[in-house]
Amino acid sequence: MKIIAIYNIKGGVGKTASAVNLSYLASLDGASTLLWDLDPQGAASYYYRIKAKIKGGGQKLVEGKRNLEEAIKGTDYENLDLLPADFSYRDMDFFVEMSKKPERRLNKMLEPLADEYDYVFLDCPPSISSASESIFAAADILLVPTIPTTLSLRTYKQIKKFFKEMDYDSMKILPFFAMVDLRKQLHRLIVDYPPSFMPTVLDSYIPYASEVERMGVNRAPVGDFAAHSRAAICYRSMWDEIKSHLFSHP
Amino acid sequence: MNNKQLDLVIPLDKGLPELLASFQNNFYVNVLPETVIHRIYYDTFDWLLYNNGAVLEVHEEGESRRIYWQANQQSSLRIQLGLSDVPQLASELPDSDFRRQLQSVISVRELTPRIKIKVKRLPLVMLDKHEKVVVRVNFDEHWYYPSKTRAGTVLGKRIAIKPVKGYQDEFGQVEAFFEPMRLREAQDNLIKLALLESGYSASEYSNKLNLILDPEMPAEQAMKQILLRLLEIMQQNTAGSIRGRDSEFMHDFRVSIRKTRSALTQITRVLPQGTIIRFNQFFSGLGKLTNPIRDGDVFLLKLESYQQCLKPSSQEHLKPLREYLVTSRATAQKKFVETLKTQEHRDQIKEWREYLENADPTEPPLENSGRPVYKLADELIWNMYQLALEEGNAITDETEAEALHELRKTCKKLRYLMEFFQSLYPARDIRELIRAMKGLQDNLGVFNDLHVHAGILKKFIKQSPDSRAKKACKQIVNELKRRQVKTRGKFAERYAAFSSGETQKEFRELFVDSRKG
Repeated sequence: MKIIAIYNIKGGVGKTASAVNLSYLASLDGASTLLWDLDPQGAASYYYRIKAKIKGGGQKLVEGKRNLEEAIKGTDYENLDLLPADFSYRDMDFFVEMSKKPERRLNKMLEPLADEYDYVFLDCPPSISSASESIFAAADILLVPTIPTTLSLRTYKQIKKFFKEMDYDSMKILPFFAMVDLRKQLHRLIVDYPPSFMPTVLDSYIPYASEVERMGVNRAPVGDFAAHSRAAICYRSMWDEIKSHLFSHP
Repeated sequence: MNNKQLDLVIPLDKGLPELLASFQNNFYVNVLPETVIHRIYYDTFDWLLYNNGAVLEVHEEGESRRIYWQANQQSSLRIQLGLSDVPQLASELPDSDFRRQLQSVISVRELTPRIKIKVKRLPLVMLDKHEKVVVRVNFDEHWYYPSKTRAGTVLGKRIAIKPVKGYQDEFGQVEAFFEPMRLREAQDNLIKLALLESGYSASEYSNKLNLILDPEMPAEQAMKQILLRLLEIMQQNTAGSIRGRDSEFMHDFRVSIRKTRSALTQITRVLPQGTIIRFNQFFSGLGKLTNPIRDGDVFLLKLESYQQCLKPSSQEHLKPLREYLVTSRATAQKKFVETLKTQEHRDQIKEWREYLENADPTEPPLENSGRPVYKLADELIWNMYQLALEEGNAITDETEAEALHELRKTCKKLRYLMEFFQSLYPARDIRELIRAMKGLQDNLGVFNDLHVHAGILKKFIKQSPDSRAKKACKQIVNELKRRQVKTRGKFAERYAAFSSGETQKEFRELFVDSRKG
């Protein structure tokens, strides 16, 4: 089981769209895939037509497969399941749990699912907390969508600094450029000449595209309703790049 | 708890359209476009995966191609492999659980596509009021196509009801809808059905003779049956030997040639001398072509163990040796393939088969051709055992290695005779005797391999310009000599079991005394 977290401290950088589209592509490969919506806004759950709220909410989050498994819902796509946002946020216990031994906590929760899923995607909330520490430790790769602007690059540097301070393996951070508008000179410049502190930046990038916005209307990944659009093609090539990275750096 | 997928069999006479219409009337469904899936099952020539309950299957649907692996029937876990193609040999794979599981079943054997099933699928999804998919239902028709040009046959029609996690109630509703129809749950696997349809038998290949001879049948008739069966084994292994990837094909091919030659030269005065000389020459030439291929295969397998006598840094110096072995093997393989593709070779095989299939007895009959086979078998086996004892008794610690090679060949002839005529004797008795010989045969076989391999190394040392490789090879030659001494040290003990009073008594009882009463 490979754990792929999509993370950024900043909001509105295309995290959820990436999590939704990449997990969909993984499932299309026939791989058994779980998308865990960790963002309290529940946008990933919404895109997949799954109610973020779970019946009997408020029940304490207890360790073990049963609870986690019971909360998982199948999406409209074969091989793709989703753990809705509410599961993580129905009370604050999740964070209490995470803060105990953050470096091992998430791994331990996912352990019972290891046989069931080939990929787990984590759509992370935009913050640095003990939950994010747990995510950094558990993830095989940390995808960081980054808008090619000065401010976004600064945020990326902060993440790297945090990794260094906490002694996490910074090689697993894979930034990529998102919401790229090639009409803007600055975007073009940064995409063509990525700064030297981004040695692992992916070659593929995601353009700013109306299809991605239409995901909210269609409540589906772009690959489903606009398979031949530029955005869908870009996500596809990004997924291929991520896979080659995953399997060449086991 | 999550439900498992439910597979139901639709009787062949029940029409899908009516079933579908009735389903649509009861549920809010979305009918998806019909798709075609090609399921291709891979296996070895001798069906090792099938016989061990394992499945290696490729699903082709449109442009997507997925490979699935199920290690055994008990495990319901079917994993999708992250491979773009099925490997031909387990050794081509990087180290992984899959490689280990596969290798434990197929060893060095080659995988090829064996069974193809076409699935015509009509997929439906059942939706809730929010238009969310809550259950998936596939109406599948499975077809078996023996080849691209031949018409297919329907293996069966099935409904697969697949639960969607978190929507158990809806799954229950669909289950309840089908319940009154009393459809049988699909237990049988599709490969089994396709195998039945194809006429293949998963247990059909054996490199054993498996002949039942009538003791009273004329020796000529029995001999032709034995030779025909050996030809059959040879021909079953021809295509695989030509491909040259799976060394087991070549092994079985060679063994059947050796046995054929052994029968021709040992079972005398049964077939006309001219026929014997002609075909013995033909098979001898064929056998010689395969020697360097087999020697190369065995040597490459053994090299792992041989090189342990070298320091890890010197082991790397063997690279030129490996290249030399691979090149020599490839040259020999090329020559072999060219020969097998000649018209002359094909004609010889054809004539040999025609001769063996001709039931007419030789006229005028030869000395042994009309005798009941059991009498001839008794004599041949007993005499060969006596010869082996004579040769073995003459061996002392000082005897030249050549005498051991002679004894090895005699034991092999004896073993083959016992296998040819196995069905004429009580199964248990003859099995026991073959087992009694095994210890000695293994000892002589290892001794011979070491000799042959030292020869290969010496040949390489003579022609290689690489001084480091030569030095490493000389060290291995010395190691092989040590091993030969050690193997020879065990000879006396192994031979003692073969020549003991008890074994001699058993041979006598079975091949001399048994029919006297």
